[in-house]
Amino acid sequence: MYYPYFISYMVAGLVISLVVFIWALNNGQFKDQQRARYLPLKDETDEDEPPMVRAKKISRHETYALMFLAFAGLAVIAAVLFFALLKGGQP
Amino acid sequence: MTGESQAITQNYATAKGFCITSAFWMVVATFMGLLGATELMAPDLLENVGWLVFGRVRPIHINLVLFGFVTPGLLSAAFYYVPKLLRTDLYSEKLGKITVFAWNVTLVAAVVSLAMGKTQGREYAELIWPIDMMVVAAFSLVIINIIMTVKQRREPILYVSVWYVCAAVILTAITYGLGNIIWKPSSGALVGIPDAIILWFYGHNVFGLLLTPLSAGVTYYVIPKACRAPLYSHTLSLWGFWSLLVVYTHIGTHHLLQVPVPTWLKVIAIVDSNAMVIPVMAFLINIWYTAKGKLGEIHADIGAKFVFTGTIMYFFVSIQGSMMSLPDVQRVTHFNNWVVAHAHLGVLGFAGMIALGGIYYILPRMTGRPLYSRLLAVFQYWMILIGTVGFTVVLTIAGLIQGNAWLNGETVYRILPQIHVYYVTRAALGLMIFSSAVIGFYNIIRSMFFSPGETS
Repeated sequence: MYYPYFISYMVAGLVISLVVFIWALNNGQFKDQQRARYLPLKDETDEDEPPMVRAKKISRHETYALMFLAFAGLAVIAAVLFFALLKGGQP
Repeated sequence: MTGESQAITQNYATAKGFCITSAFWMVVATFMGLLGATELMAPDLLENVGWLVFGRVRPIHINLVLFGFVTPGLLSAAFYYVPKLLRTDLYSEKLGKITVFAWNVTLVAAVVSLAMGKTQGREYAELIWPIDMMVVAAFSLVIINIIMTVKQRREPILYVSVWYVCAAVILTAITYGLGNIIWKPSSGALVGIPDAIILWFYGHNVFGLLLTPLSAGVTYYVIPKACRAPLYSHTLSLWGFWSLLVVYTHIGTHHLLQVPVPTWLKVIAIVDSNAMVIPVMAFLINIWYTAKGKLGEIHADIGAKFVFTGTIMYFFVSIQGSMMSLPDVQRVTHFNNWVVAHAHLGVLGFAGMIALGGIYYILPRMTGRPLYSRLLAVFQYWMILIGTVGFTVVLTIAGLIQGNAWLNGETVYRILPQIHVYYVTRAALGLMIFSSAVIGFYNIIRSMFFSPGETS
């Protein structure tokens, strides 16, 4: 047999898939598909949703400071690109 | 078992643990990527620092992106939604916490060993045998927790996300053991062509059969929730799932079309690579029809926005992947930066985006508070989007230059000046991605531990 490891993996994968598929078939997993569509929505309660809270002033300042740092980083990137393109990649 | 809604008393310790794991290792992984990109741009930068040479930095980057950033991010969401979809508690939060600890110890061991030059020298399978065993053990713990949760479920029907999570962890545990040839601890390899076949079979599946199903699972949960609409078709989603299992498990040989492997194996790989259009379109049509007319709801939730963008990336990366398996296309696109562009589009643009989306979607629901800063999350979203698209464009151009030169018999070094500017751009974009990872880590830690949050 050519390449026994590869073929044995394919066979093992096929057998596992078939066994699980047959279990699913007999277990009714392919029935009631209309109800299955709604399953993610069934756990929806108000408790799941995070409450709306007003940001503290200090938190807003922190966010602006981080935004400033991030934009400064982007400006550095733009500068690197500009000089690299200007000099055509030559030192 | 009953389908009725039951009170669930989760404290989400496992999901939170994987969430922090993902955010932290994303910072390290993207830094390693940035370092590697910088070394390609300036090869002499760290020439005397043995543990940071490109040959060690690259595998650290890849292994950390795969096992440190994306997989834990997707598992974090899975540990949140699987119990909810099954109307039960997670089988064992204690086991989950042990898993998170073991996972992080494994990652530290992987970084240290690779930096020391301890490697088995096979792409994507570099980790040495003891760490291979730690990876398998960590995956086994995940499998036990997920399967036992499925077993104790109160909801009789397994929603498609649960199918995807089960398939991902089980198939990966098998693929990892086989692909790393764990029964040969000294080499972790077979000999000759059979090793190449099994390596690329593994190399493709360790991404495709781990990240793709986990990402699909998160998407099938988050999009209907964010849209407050039922899934377009659960039957179609199961078609997509089973067809993925059939065609995706053995296409790795499309990496070896220019290698003397048996033709029948190449034919299987090419045919199934193109047949991937079936599960891909089944998934995308289902998700996009679920979201039809509800893009406003998706835009309003930053987690859903990440996830939906990931599905668009999935469309592009899948079409690209099928095309690249065609021999005539591959003659130009293989063994050059085109493949690197494809990998970044898939792992960062598709799975990475969805992992972050999953985290941002579940985080406020786990803590009961809004995100610390939606603004920072949105900023991270745009940085990653621009970074990913930028990577794809510049690396595709560089790849086409290299591929064309190779076809014309040009010497490698004569092409390097032509692609240098693309390497510079790639490093600049890498800095952007790394910055976004730092911002994301800060936002996630603040959201989880400190902040009352802000109006979202």
